[in-house]
Amino acid sequence: MSDEPARILMAKTSLDGHWRGVTIVERALREAHFEVIALGMATAEEIVRAAVDEEVDLVGLNLGGRSAVVERIVAELRAQGSDVPVMVGGVITPQTKKRLESSGIAVFPPGSSLEDIVATARRLCEHSAEMKQEAQ
Amino acid sequence: MSGIEEGTSLDGEPGNAGRREGASRTTAPAYTTSSGIPLSAHYGPGDVPDDHWLKVTAPPGQAPFTRGAYPEMYRSKPWRIFQLSGFGNPEDERERIRFLLEHGETGFLMEHDRMTADHLYDVDHPEVVARRDDVGLTGAVILSVDDYETVLDGIDIASTYAHAGGAVVQHAPFANACYWTVARRRGIDLRRLAGTGQSDFNLTYLGCINKVQVPPRDGLRFNLDLIEHCTRYLPKWVPVSIAAYNAADTGLNAFEELGALMANAAEYLDGIRQRSKLEVADVAHGVGGVNLRTSMDFFEDIAKLRAARSMWERLLRERYGVTDERARRLRIHVVTAGSAMTYSQPLNNIARGTLMGLAAVLGGAQSLGVSGYDEAITIPSEHAHQMSVRIQQILAHEANLTAVADPLGGSWLVESLTAQLEERAWEFFELIQREGGYVATLDSGWLHQRASAGASLAMDQVENGDRILVGVNAYQDDVSPFEVEGFEGTTDAWDRAMTRLAALRRERDSRAAASALRTLEGACRSEVNIMGPMLDAVEARVTVGEIGDVFRTVFGNWDVPIVF
Amino acid sequence: MIGGTHGAAGHTCLDMTTHESHAATNLSAKERGRDPASLFEAARAGDRAALGRLLSLVERSGPDARKVSRLVFAFGAARHVVGVTGAPGAGKSTLTDKLIAVIRAEGSKVGVLAVDPSSPYTGGAILGDRIRMSGHATDDGVFIRSMATRGHLGGLALATPEAVRVLAACGYPTILVETVGVGQVEVAVAAAADTTVVVVNPGWGDSVQAAKAGLLEAADVFVVNKADRPGAEQTRRDLESMLDLSVGASSGRHAPEAAAKDPTAWRPPVLATTAVSPTGEGIRELWDAIEAHRRHLEDTGELETRRRRRMLEEARSVLLAQVASELQEAERTEGYARLEAALARREIDSYEAAAAWRAASGISPM
Repeated sequence: MSDEPARILMAKTSLDGHWRGVTIVERALREAHFEVIALGMATAEEIVRAAVDEEVDLVGLNLGGRSAVVERIVAELRAQGSDVPVMVGGVITPQTKKRLESSGIAVFPPGSSLEDIVATARRLCEHSAEMKQEAQ
Repeated sequence: MSGIEEGTSLDGEPGNAGRREGASRTTAPAYTTSSGIPLSAHYGPGDVPDDHWLKVTAPPGQAPFTRGAYPEMYRSKPWRIFQLSGFGNPEDERERIRFLLEHGETGFLMEHDRMTADHLYDVDHPEVVARRDDVGLTGAVILSVDDYETVLDGIDIASTYAHAGGAVVQHAPFANACYWTVARRRGIDLRRLAGTGQSDFNLTYLGCINKVQVPPRDGLRFNLDLIEHCTRYLPKWVPVSIAAYNAADTGLNAFEELGALMANAAEYLDGIRQRSKLEVADVAHGVGGVNLRTSMDFFEDIAKLRAARSMWERLLRERYGVTDERARRLRIHVVTAGSAMTYSQPLNNIARGTLMGLAAVLGGAQSLGVSGYDEAITIPSEHAHQMSVRIQQILAHEANLTAVADPLGGSWLVESLTAQLEERAWEFFELIQREGGYVATLDSGWLHQRASAGASLAMDQVENGDRILVGVNAYQDDVSPFEVEGFEGTTDAWDRAMTRLAALRRERDSRAAASALRTLEGACRSEVNIMGPMLDAVEARVTVGEIGDVFRTVFGNWDVPIVF
Repeated sequence: MIGGTHGAAGHTCLDMTTHESHAATNLSAKERGRDPASLFEAARAGDRAALGRLLSLVERSGPDARKVSRLVFAFGAARHVVGVTGAPGAGKSTLTDKLIAVIRAEGSKVGVLAVDPSSPYTGGAILGDRIRMSGHATDDGVFIRSMATRGHLGGLALATPEAVRVLAACGYPTILVETVGVGQVEVAVAAAADTTVVVVNPGWGDSVQAAKAGLLEAADVFVVNKADRPGAEQTRRDLESMLDLSVGASSGRHAPEAAAKDPTAWRPPVLATTAVSPTGEGIRELWDAIEAHRRHLEDTGELETRRRRRMLEEARSVLLAQVASELQEAERTEGYARLEAALARREIDSYEAAAAWRAASGISPM
């Protein structure tokens, strides 16, 4: 059924408890017909576990620290056979943004528009759904 | 109540050349302040209520202090240049503080690593180990009083005003105790030691919520203990400094920020009154050093600082009957809005920092921190820090701003906004009281919802183009030859802290440490002021994580009312 | 692909796939694909990704969900399904988190279905229960799945018991189903458990709300959570007296008249917990009460009765969902357009319109 909402896991990789930014994105996604599984502050291991158990269509990471955790999460997801796409937001240096984007990760630094975030989420989730269809 | 006046037609819309594609104004420009106060095309004497005129006949330095905390303001008391700083290892933090002081900073703020300090975790805690590459990014890693010694080595703490760290409530007792211990060891008379540890509820329970932390009721007890302790033994120390900044940067508008500030203070002062060990008048000075935010609504922000002083004076006079006029004087530290700083075209932020800093000066701030131009990108680089100091020096020395106190006093617009903000802020204060008081609105999530609504409204205005952010939703072309690389601090903070932790555990008298922790736990479970046992524990070289273990055992975790 | 309609055929089918699946254990989830039978085999062998996918199939309904249903049906029921329900903010997730800890300490694996409402306006949802269960985030013996109610008729009532069976068949004998007790659907889902725990907070309004929402009838165990707050004892007494009153009534699950005759009949205990307290005050007692209720169900044979009744209820839900879907399908037909027009012109009445709608749906006439 095409009108079934896509599922997005949202997590904060650091122990920085600023919540305003991530909740604004979560609400925008809910308004755009997504089901958001909010994980709060979680370790890489916890994020991968939740993404797999919940079989989400997209993983959204709010970065409050360094970025190596993103690559660790992606690598572990792939190791566990998940193709789920990943998008990242938060305070991200320009050099990190370039690096992550070059490995196919959508990056949203401060000031990104919600419209863009929602559109990207939609595109990535559709891609996810196609992959699942193919796998069938 | 905070509704933005909505325009009804698209007529008269200014050209939107350069705006982001798709971002077009949905309504005619609404002339309001950022908190929604309608603005007329011009102001006159009739726009200022009579009772407000009466207030501002009092010159600066006299109650109700609307026009300033001191008679001569910056002629006799220049504002303190006070920048948040810290990252990496204790040595890195020390070098940055020295750098800032050499460049003209006149006070210093210690910023500690968020994971270990705010959460009270040692570096070998599983939550920290799992994120070890983040350690030291948001501040320096400080494990024990030994690390305080390292940071403060060679810094004249007897005569320099400091923020000792401890912005987060559960960290404050430990952070303060460490700083005081270093001072005591240097032979400094604690009765003359000046500074603050902040211990702010708005940060801790509203804006930046730890994964695990003591509940607000217990946090309130910590703050009352701090207030009592400092009133007795460190009269020049600001035991708690309410940072309405954090409420504002979470989404409360100008009058909500003021109302929440007063409600927060009332919670502390009611608590002091209930304990009936000290008079409110005795603690008023200590609680009267607060932190407000200036952002990008120039006149409203100026009016906000003026209204804050006037409200504070009234709160202490009417609610607590404080008769000593000086005890009703509010001192304001201003931090410019970090959230106003943009990721794109970051050099524009130098202009924003200057404007927000100017608002603070015109509003009569006692100290000022200007956010780094790289705020949206990373922690401040050395150069961004230098620029923040230079902006303040230009304001202080080049623009001839310091000769006259309250230069905008009597401006029909500024006086009208000051009066209106005060009126709306008291209404918000009453609203909080009806919800059961400030702490109750944190426990229920009511205040978070208000902040959230404010943040969403502001975001919508940017999204639909009602509010222009240069370089973000308009004027995005950039020919800047400068690329601002994000400063990433050090990468060895976790490894080195692990080494220090192991050495500390090996070298210290472990029985003394264990015994001090037991005494502290006993105090936590009783009504004994925790600061005495905390100082003993610090002297016994306990670690930040050991303090956290005691708190977690005794107080458990706050049941956070929101999902994020 | 899978033949037969009863258990034995399911086993046959599994035998057929065992061979492939052994090879499949070395394949990535992607290569393994989404074939229900091989997913089921892998999930039973402990592959969490496969279990996650099975639950997605169940949740999305449709032909694959039916295949899953047939596969798991033969594997019998969970040892114990516990529903946890109550108003938003009552502390259900924290309570569930602490219950997981108790169950894990006893050595049993736990499956958790955390159900939150979808937005009626946008169909989206924010599912935040995992945050408060982070203490078990990487425990291999715990499988947590978040589900949104997704407006569609009876969907949740169907998907939940199915998901429970999937979890049970894949090695999670104890299953906690957490729902927000606000609407009939949610209460129905909670009541589909063997033991339903209703969570309220201090303040008499809460117990009245619970009564209004039909939670009183659904409850096997009451919990006054956040019992450190003022009014906890009063709320406990209110609940007890409401239970006393319901002894005089004739409807409801606690069959009061039976209770009067039969001293072994179950009267819901009212417990107090402070789930957030450092020691998780009252949680141990809560779990003991839940276990006591399970023993009561077993001893009285009520467990089998309830489960049989629920299976019939499920069949009824399936049927209603099918009928609803057929009626909806018919809205696209010409016959529907004609009946709509005729209704608007008042040429036919509601009964005649209903008959025409039946005809358009292919449902046999009354």
